Amino acid sequence: MKRLVAILRAIRNKRRIRTDGGTTDERSTVKRWLDSDFLQSAPFWGPPLILMGLFVYGAIGWNFLLSLTDYSGFGGPDYTNLGLQNYSRMVQDPAIWEATWNTVVLLVVFTIACLALGLVLAILLDREIRFGRAFRTIYLLPFALSFIVTAQFWRWMYNVNDGIVNQFIGLFGLGPYNWLGDPRLVLGSVIFALVWQFSGYTMVIYLAALRSIPTEQYEAARVDGAGTFRMYWRVIVPQLRPAIVSATVVLVLFALKAFDFLYAVFDGYRPRQGADILATKMMREGFNNSEWAYSSAIGLTLFILSLAVIAPYLYTQYKRGNL
Amino acid sequence: MSNNDTHSRRRVLKGAGVTGAAGMMALAGCLTGDEDDENTLEVLHGWTGGDGAEAEEALFAAFEEEHPDIDLDDQAIGGGGNENLDQTVATRFNSDNPPGSFAGWPGANLEQYDGVLGDIESEVWDEADLADAHVEEAVEACQFDGGYSAVPIGSHRMNDLFYNVEVLEDAGVDPDSLDDIDALIDALDTVDSETDATPLAMSLEAWAILQTWAVVMLSTQGYDAYMDFIAGDGDEDAVRETFETLEEILDNYINDDAASVGFTEVNQDIMGGDAAFIHEGNWVAGAYINNEDIEYGEEWDAIRYPGTEDMYGLHIDSFIYPGDNPAPEETATFLRFAGGETAQVEFNQYKGSIPTREGVPTEEFNEYLTETIEDFETASEKPPTLAHGLAVDQSTQSSLEEVLNNNFADPFDVDDATEGFMNAV
Repeated sequence: MKRLVAILRAIRNKRRIRTDGGTTDERSTVKRWLDSDFLQSAPFWGPPLILMGLFVYGAIGWNFLLSLTDYSGFGGPDYTNLGLQNYSRMVQDPAIWEATWNTVVLLVVFTIACLALGLVLAILLDREIRFGRAFRTIYLLPFALSFIVTAQFWRWMYNVNDGIVNQFIGLFGLGPYNWLGDPRLVLGSVIFALVWQFSGYTMVIYLAALRSIPTEQYEAARVDGAGTFRMYWRVIVPQLRPAIVSATVVLVLFALKAFDFLYAVFDGYRPRQGADILATKMMREGFNNSEWAYSSAIGLTLFILSLAVIAPYLYTQYKRGNL
Repeated sequence: MSNNDTHSRRRVLKGAGVTGAAGMMALAGCLTGDEDDENTLEVLHGWTGGDGAEAEEALFAAFEEEHPDIDLDDQAIGGGGNENLDQTVATRFNSDNPPGSFAGWPGANLEQYDGVLGDIESEVWDEADLADAHVEEAVEACQFDGGYSAVPIGSHRMNDLFYNVEVLEDAGVDPDSLDDIDALIDALDTVDSETDATPLAMSLEAWAILQTWAVVMLSTQGYDAYMDFIAGDGDEDAVRETFETLEEILDNYINDDAASVGFTEVNQDIMGGDAAFIHEGNWVAGAYINNEDIEYGEEWDAIRYPGTEDMYGLHIDSFIYPGDNPAPEETATFLRFAGGETAQVEFNQYKGSIPTREGVPTEEFNEYLTETIEDFETASEKPPTLAHGLAVDQSTQSSLEEVLNNNFADPFDVDDATEGFMNAV
């Protein structure tokens, strides 16, 4: 080891004085490479790269490979005969189409509702109302709770006979409705519960963005004669675009992963008809039916859906030099 | 800052990086190396609460007393019915790291484990002479791939109809007079009109509908039609009529929240006097027996599902033996024990199930279970359960549940459900 260090030092010191007083660098490419920042910083970026590469990107790659096999049961996959049969099976499976439709509805409605409700809450809180801080905490609190906990709450609250939701609307002579049992209502009920949990999060994002807008702009809008609605719509909201974009990305990704909420509400991988999403379908195919390859194909589709959402965002961020 | 300082700091940081990387490698190494545990007998099961937990504690305590030299590691993996247990077992098999044994249904359910189960015919079945000791149906269910891959631990009855005595008295219904499905429907109607109680407590989870569908088919179409159906040779009219009868019951006489509650929740209604009847496997009896406020024959009781009086709806729990076993000798010792008298008594008296072993002394069992044991011995037919792995393999059972979940869990669509069932089996 000592000798190695001595040799490296000798290589490093092998510089000659140039005629103009500087030094010349006569080291070979390999030696220059050995001396580069890239290699010298390797101990720092290397381990995370290896771990991420192996456990994230490697796993995704392996998942793709699995989806091309006909692996089912416990025999182990056969990689010699690869094909796209699982993907064509997905196209022909009506349950997949239903799950995809539900996934997309969940995604779109949930995201838009959260963005809208969060904006309203943020604007109200930004008006310096009394107990503003307390309200902020109250609205944000559901976000701090785990899906498993909130799902249990909602399971109780949606109960047909004793649930508080039916008790409440009963005061107005409505219901009772079978919120989690009726195929026509179940997806809406799930989305409502998710919006309740996540609108506090969008509110905080908006609130931070609102607070960073200089007071002068509010005043200028007022002086120019804008009403409250007009001021927000024309002057303030357009400046919230970056906040909206990043909140949207997070919300969409959460919507794609709504699996744990559904798992807890329906006590298993099989949601009621009308609320099946790709994630629950994937789990059922894998762990109920041991259809590992088919399950992998569904998983990869879900991954591509997520990528379709996040890629444009990453690209624009990269273009703007934010990454 | 001098040049030397920079160098030494860089060197320190570099050293830290290398140490970090080495540490991670060492950690990874630690996580995979457990060579010392070679002789630990690991048994996975799903009995985490109530009667199940009490039963497994009694079983494993008795085993440890008899075999103190064996290092036993029994792990309860609960949740989602047996969903989490099955998932763990699947993951363990896929990573070539199976446990010594795990609890699961024998019969057609074993087919999903094709290729990863071991044969215990000589070490367990022959050595402990289990084939002669257990009932024929249990022996057959544990056979797999030309040998034996499981040992039965107990059986639940699938065709009992439990009821709250007081509610039926209030309604003026005599349970013993119910001898066919029409009489049952009349009784449900009477309860509905005469009392505030729910006539039939029901959860519309897919497996619960499936087990009730099976008992209605046995009741209305008979044993042969049922056996033809599970063999893949079902008569479409028989299937349709079963769905029509079931629709009449589910559409009119069950609790409003059936689509969003589990069977443990609806079973509370029977115990609390808010519902008259419940059709379930007799694991619900475990809950009644453990409830000190209610007595068998006084507050709760059971009849055979009307129309299936001579039958014993067969369900079997077993311990399954993975091939490539981490502790083959210890596991074989455990499985011989599980098939023996001590284990069958210890486990079943708490579980609300009965031994599959014949001639087991019944002193330890309560009145209800003793009667069930007598019925088990005298039943003319023992149709295997459709909803618990005995009758059809896992993927068929899953397809049937999918059909029910999509077409017959309120609203009820007889046509689509019939078509789905005919295609699934």
